[in-house]
Amino acid sequence: MMTTEHPGGMPSRTGSRGFDAFVPRYTVVERMHPITKILAVFCLGLSAMSWPTPWLGLALVVALFAVSFLAKMPREFAKIMFGFGVPISVMLLFIQGCYSPRNVTFIADLGFAKLGLEGILYATKLVVTLLVFLGSFYLMNKTTYTGRLVAALTASGLPAKMGYLVLASLNVVPQMQRRMSVIQEAQSARGLRTSGGLIARIKAYLPLMGPVVMSSLTDAQERGMTLETRGFGIRGVKKTSYVEVQYTVLDRTANWLLLTFFILVLVVSTLMRLGVIPAWGGN
Amino acid sequence: MASAIEVNDFSFRYQGDKRYALKHLDFAIRQGEFFCVVGANGSGKSTLCNALVGLVPHYFTGKTRGEIVVDGTKVSESTVADLSSTIGLVFQNPFNQLSYTAGSVAEELAYGLGNHGVERSEMLERVDTVARLMRIEHILHRNPLELSGGQVQRVALGSVFILEPRILVLDECTTQLDPLGGEEIFDVVQRLNKDGVTIVMVDHDMERVARCADTVMVLDQGEIVALGTPREVFTSPTLGEHGVSAPDYVSISRALVEDGWDIPNIEITEEPTVAMVRGLLR
Repeated sequence: MMTTEHPGGMPSRTGSRGFDAFVPRYTVVERMHPITKILAVFCLGLSAMSWPTPWLGLALVVALFAVSFLAKMPREFAKIMFGFGVPISVMLLFIQGCYSPRNVTFIADLGFAKLGLEGILYATKLVVTLLVFLGSFYLMNKTTYTGRLVAALTASGLPAKMGYLVLASLNVVPQMQRRMSVIQEAQSARGLRTSGGLIARIKAYLPLMGPVVMSSLTDAQERGMTLETRGFGIRGVKKTSYVEVQYTVLDRTANWLLLTFFILVLVVSTLMRLGVIPAWGGN
Repeated sequence: MASAIEVNDFSFRYQGDKRYALKHLDFAIRQGEFFCVVGANGSGKSTLCNALVGLVPHYFTGKTRGEIVVDGTKVSESTVADLSSTIGLVFQNPFNQLSYTAGSVAEELAYGLGNHGVERSEMLERVDTVARLMRIEHILHRNPLELSGGQVQRVALGSVFILEPRILVLDECTTQLDPLGGEEIFDVVQRLNKDGVTIVMVDHDMERVARCADTVMVLDQGEIVALGTPREVFTSPTLGEHGVSAPDYVSISRALVEDGWDIPNIEITEEPTVAMVRGLLR
């Protein structure tokens, strides 16, 4: 008997277009359990946040760059990290460095203000903490097929209706774009000009918004009916998913490592704050 | 043979509407029957389809009289979701049949199975079977939103049929397809019927209805105006009064009779008509 290959419910490369941010790259990061990746976002972000100095955060940012290579997306990752990191760093370093009330040790005189070491370190810590959260979330989002994420969350206790809402919401934009182009073509066929300068385009597109919204609402009503006819509202049944999400040895190991790391960071940073051990790299 | 569907003096009026959309419908559909519903626009065909699967009265509220019994279950006492494993509905617009949560056709097909708690191993088997039946194996990993109308219609039909309903209701599900695409879908429906699935089909293609239906019902303003075999219905002299035209073959037979030819039957389908004309020409 002929059988079709079912790669855990993953869509094809073309299949993911217009659906969400995920593009399959078939990497080890992609294969990891979505809950492990969510755990990583929180453990790494909170660790960077709780450590009293910026150095752990910096080390984690470097580690995230290494993960981006594993995930086969170093360019996109660097673009996001530098695109966000550079302007926010400049802004925070300037504000905290020049005007923070913590400043005691001044390292430079800019003429209009003096640059304080404490403020700079505090700004650096803020920036790296934000970058750890941003970078880990970006990698999680880009390497996780939304269907898998929702299946994992549903298996972990998220109500199925909530899962539907998450997935369906992601489709609202491409769906409305599709509807918009259909209505636009219909209006163009009847003589409406949809090209030209900005004002001409705004004038052309504003009247289209009504039909787009109204027809989307009508579609939503019919879709609600079709979902019911496919058993959406069935009660007393534990829903299952076509998308396969399984914990592997790698996931379990990663979970333990992440949790151990986080607890260790919490303990050490508490001891550092209490002065039991010196704050490495601190002021 | 036992009834798959019993409609007992059923009437329905939409909320806020003064007219009844369906009036005193009383008929039964046998198990394994190919039952066609025809009628002009606004005659109540889609409302009847919605009533058979329980969308009337559970989704479309209004005033209801009488009862519809599907496979022994009273529609009014069940829910649409519970009925979905017994009776499936394929809508006119296939794009609205999609769940909009699936990133691939395979996921789309399996969506209803997930709602019914079917284990993944069985899901994969059923997806394979339905994909072969609908001839969509080659697009299983593609995004449903990127398919052509004909492909989406096949996916829509597959997504309903994968629940293995004993009764399938098709509400003008080939209207958005080209003639060839419509025939391909229809071939699938005929195969399902041969495998024992009861088919209730709304269609405007009278030649197709004449060729395949066991029973034809004509609706006019919510009332049954004709019910019988395709021959009985399409040879009725009053059919045109209800906004329904008989297949062209009926006109050919009648023209031959008017011209004095001695023909044994008024034919309603292509093959007997061709054979009859050939016989006359010899």
